[in-house]
Amino acid sequence: MAEVYLNHLTKRFGKNVVAVNDLNLQVHDREFLVLLGPSGCGKTTTMRMIAGLEEVTEGTIFLGDREITDLPPRKRNVSMVFQNYAVWPHMTVYDNIAYPLRLKKMSKQEIDKIVKDVAEMTSIGELLDRYPTQLSGGQQQRVAVTRAIAVYPEVFLMDEPLSNLDAKLRVAMRTELKAIHAKTEATTIFVTHDQSEAMSVADRIVIMREGEIEQMGTPEEVYDNSANMFVADFIGTPPTNFFDGEIRRANGTLHVVNPRFDMALSPENAALLQAYGKRDLVIGVRPENILLVDEADALLSTDVLVVEPQGSHQVISFEFANKIVKIVAPTHPPVSAGDRIHIDFNQRSLHFFDPQTTQAIDRPESG
Amino acid sequence: MVNVLHSKSFKRRQKKIVPYLLILPVVIYYIFFWVRPVINVLVGSFTDINTGGFTLGNFAMVFQDPTFWPAFWNTAIIVVVSVTLEFFAALALALLINRKFWGSSYFLFLVIIPMALPAVAAAAMWQTGLTPHGWLNSLLFHLGILDEGQKIFWLGGYDATKARLLAIIILVDAWTVIPSVMIILLAGLQNIPKEAEEAGYVFGGNYFTVLRKITIPMLSSTIQTAVILRLISAIQIWLIIVLLLGFGRLPVLVERIVYYHEEVPGLDISYQMATGYTVIVSILVSIAAFFYLYVSGAFKHREDAV
Amino acid sequence: MTSKSINKAARKTIFYLFVTTLLVGILLPVYFLVTLSFLSTREAYQFPLPMTPALKTDLKLGYGERGYLLSVWERSEDDYATVLDTNDLDKMRVYIQSILGTKITDEELAEQIARLESSGEEEVFFTQPRNLLYNYETFFRVTRDAVPALMRSIQIALITIVISLVIGGMAGYAFARYLFRGRDALKFSVLFVRMFPGVAIAIPMVLILANMGLYDQPMGLALIYSVGSIGLTVWITASIFLGIPVSMEEAAQVFGATKLQSFVRITLPLAFPGLAAAAMYAFLGAWNETVAAIILTQFNPTFSVVVYQTLLGATGQVNLAAAGGIAMAVPAVFFTFFIRKYINQMWGGMRV
Repeated sequence: MAEVYLNHLTKRFGKNVVAVNDLNLQVHDREFLVLLGPSGCGKTTTMRMIAGLEEVTEGTIFLGDREITDLPPRKRNVSMVFQNYAVWPHMTVYDNIAYPLRLKKMSKQEIDKIVKDVAEMTSIGELLDRYPTQLSGGQQQRVAVTRAIAVYPEVFLMDEPLSNLDAKLRVAMRTELKAIHAKTEATTIFVTHDQSEAMSVADRIVIMREGEIEQMGTPEEVYDNSANMFVADFIGTPPTNFFDGEIRRANGTLHVVNPRFDMALSPENAALLQAYGKRDLVIGVRPENILLVDEADALLSTDVLVVEPQGSHQVISFEFANKIVKIVAPTHPPVSAGDRIHIDFNQRSLHFFDPQTTQAIDRPESG
Repeated sequence: MVNVLHSKSFKRRQKKIVPYLLILPVVIYYIFFWVRPVINVLVGSFTDINTGGFTLGNFAMVFQDPTFWPAFWNTAIIVVVSVTLEFFAALALALLINRKFWGSSYFLFLVIIPMALPAVAAAAMWQTGLTPHGWLNSLLFHLGILDEGQKIFWLGGYDATKARLLAIIILVDAWTVIPSVMIILLAGLQNIPKEAEEAGYVFGGNYFTVLRKITIPMLSSTIQTAVILRLISAIQIWLIIVLLLGFGRLPVLVERIVYYHEEVPGLDISYQMATGYTVIVSILVSIAAFFYLYVSGAFKHREDAV
Repeated sequence: MTSKSINKAARKTIFYLFVTTLLVGILLPVYFLVTLSFLSTREAYQFPLPMTPALKTDLKLGYGERGYLLSVWERSEDDYATVLDTNDLDKMRVYIQSILGTKITDEELAEQIARLESSGEEEVFFTQPRNLLYNYETFFRVTRDAVPALMRSIQIALITIVISLVIGGMAGYAFARYLFRGRDALKFSVLFVRMFPGVAIAIPMVLILANMGLYDQPMGLALIYSVGSIGLTVWITASIFLGIPVSMEEAAQVFGATKLQSFVRITLPLAFPGLAAAAMYAFLGAWNETVAAIILTQFNPTFSVVVYQTLLGATGQVNLAAAGGIAMAVPAVFFTFFIRKYINQMWGGMRV
């Protein structure tokens, strides 16, 4: 029932600081949408404008067919989980969940039923009589989520809800949030700066930078078809490796040439670059797409700088043109620092970027 | 459509008014009960009492008052010595309490008792202590320091030099005031993350180098708050002096205001003198305050305060 | 190992010895004021003063020229000193009660006289308990204004609390939650207000208050005291509100509360302990103030003015003045005890 439309949404602080610039976005009903970006990219400001906690400078916000741009927060029928949980310390867990319902003038019995139901769902049934100070961080987080669910909002907003939890709990909670979303089916907007968190929970990711959208799409889309170098760099750990190169034609095939290597392009990639008018380009290679091969097949041979074993795989680093390149490789064969390795690129997963615009070459250039 | 836009921007502007509405009562209150009397005094200080016209004569009279310069210098000495003394004593005390030893919270309470005491109670205490047959001499007698029949005339006698009176006033004042300076410094100390000091020790600093190179610099804005508040009130010292010594024995600037207003109200010149002194004191306080803020660099890093 | 722990214990002992010495040094004057307030008038004018108040009085009764001879044990002399030679038992009882601050009834005195008569001895010895609160009783009875003045002082302090908390609290909230022009000026107003001598403000206020019909009225003084305490209340409340995350209020608003509701239901209860401390601070300021009260009252002095007058020697004796001073100090110290944790917090958030 609840779709959210942001039309030409702009937020300026003072005269010069533009936090959000002409943002257009549609959030689908029941969608789990993640706003992802580095700090200061405007993602939290966008969410706070949807919640009504931040004034809109220009543009409009619609919830379904209802304009909510200038409504106070209480009239928007959204709920929110805050980064610091914002669980009210002077109320018991029960009252924390019940207070929003009391504000809706529900009857005592109704409230009691809802509180107990949602508490059951998030498994905090035993904590209802406690005060927040008696709870652990993870439990407070659950209370905040429960409180947000209990009001049956049209839109469920979460502002970096997991960032204050320790690493293990964070991973556990994101699975749980996803499960809760599956049960409630509430339209959810989730803000985070953690790309792996975004990838794991999102139906769709919106990547923002400096108040503008860099790319939106499913986790697979933004990972496999990053729209530009920023997204390619931001999504994935370790990030995409970039190599500068030049297009040359030799013996009827296209090559990408670099002082350290000369790569003949596969027909698919050659076709893609055929239309590209310029000579300089950047190749983006995901760490798992750099393959360890025999010396004979190697595109390039180099000395290993550092090896970081990860159990299931290992991350091998080497230096290339004053930058560190990282490879994700299987644990076998074992490699150690100082070893000579021979590598090749998986041609089916290469990304090409225009160094001037930083946009991906396989996409039409857009703003 | 135009109408809608108009009403929206009106709504948005309304929200910006909220903070101003919240501070409006303070502003009105200050105008009524502070600005108005201040202006009265200012106007009075420039008014000729006979003709009602403008004059600088009141100030001339103040400067010609034979007690003006003694009052000025006494005040200056008290301010310089007592602010310095109180600051270092308060800092030492704050550092001690900040060590959080067993019982430090009660120690803190006991130490701030002098701050809680009403001025009249403090005055009662020192008055009964400093008279020749007071408890201070009695204590010295019981400790065997004074012989039988021997008494120290702390405040009295013709031989009471000005230096001794000043020293006593400064010490008595310090006793009352150190806790309030200490409290401000202690609050600042508790805001310094432990790690900063610990890093200092890890990298080989001893207690005093860490104090000098890490703690005090990190405390600088708190120190400014404490010293400026103290400076302002130190210049205005008078009540304890009058309660211990009476008027005129150790003239200071604010004591002169009260003297002319309360003690000799009948004279023609009383009002002129009182307002003249008042304005001069305020100017001196402002100069001292701004001078201190300037020297201590408060204007340079204002943005990182609060 | 053992020498290390001995060393540690020794250092600890020295540390606490140092702390104790410091405390004794700081609190000695208070101790003597308390002692003085419990001393009998006779003892209060002796030199050297006793270091502790006596809890009982040893008396001796004999025959004198004019009737009975009353002697009292002098601690400093280690001997009895003759203080009264009279036939008038009433006079003797009053002397014991007021000058010696000692409890005695007519019957008890008569009993001792009878004992002297019947024993045939030269003199009889007896001991009576001290009335330690005698000075306090006398202070409130003799100082004609003390009780109404006390009531007025409480009234003034309460009004000051209300004015400064409401007005200063609003501004403190604005300070903690909004960016607005004049924020710095507001912050510095505490300093500005103090730069002008308080006495000097009080002088023109005589006329201004007289015009408002508030001269010599508790309300008038409360208005003046609030000028000083509002600024501090702004600082204190601002730092209290800064300590409460905005998201607490925002959460309430998102979940259906108006701004006012979120303030009343969420922020206010969370700020309550701090605000109570701020109120006590305002109370202390109003309660302790003397100077403006001297200038702005005439027939309706405050308690501090009454103590001040006792102190100046017009009405009382040193031990009475001490009792008055202690009576003033008790509520002040009492409140300070409660806010000791908060005094720190108050200063924590604000800097010049």
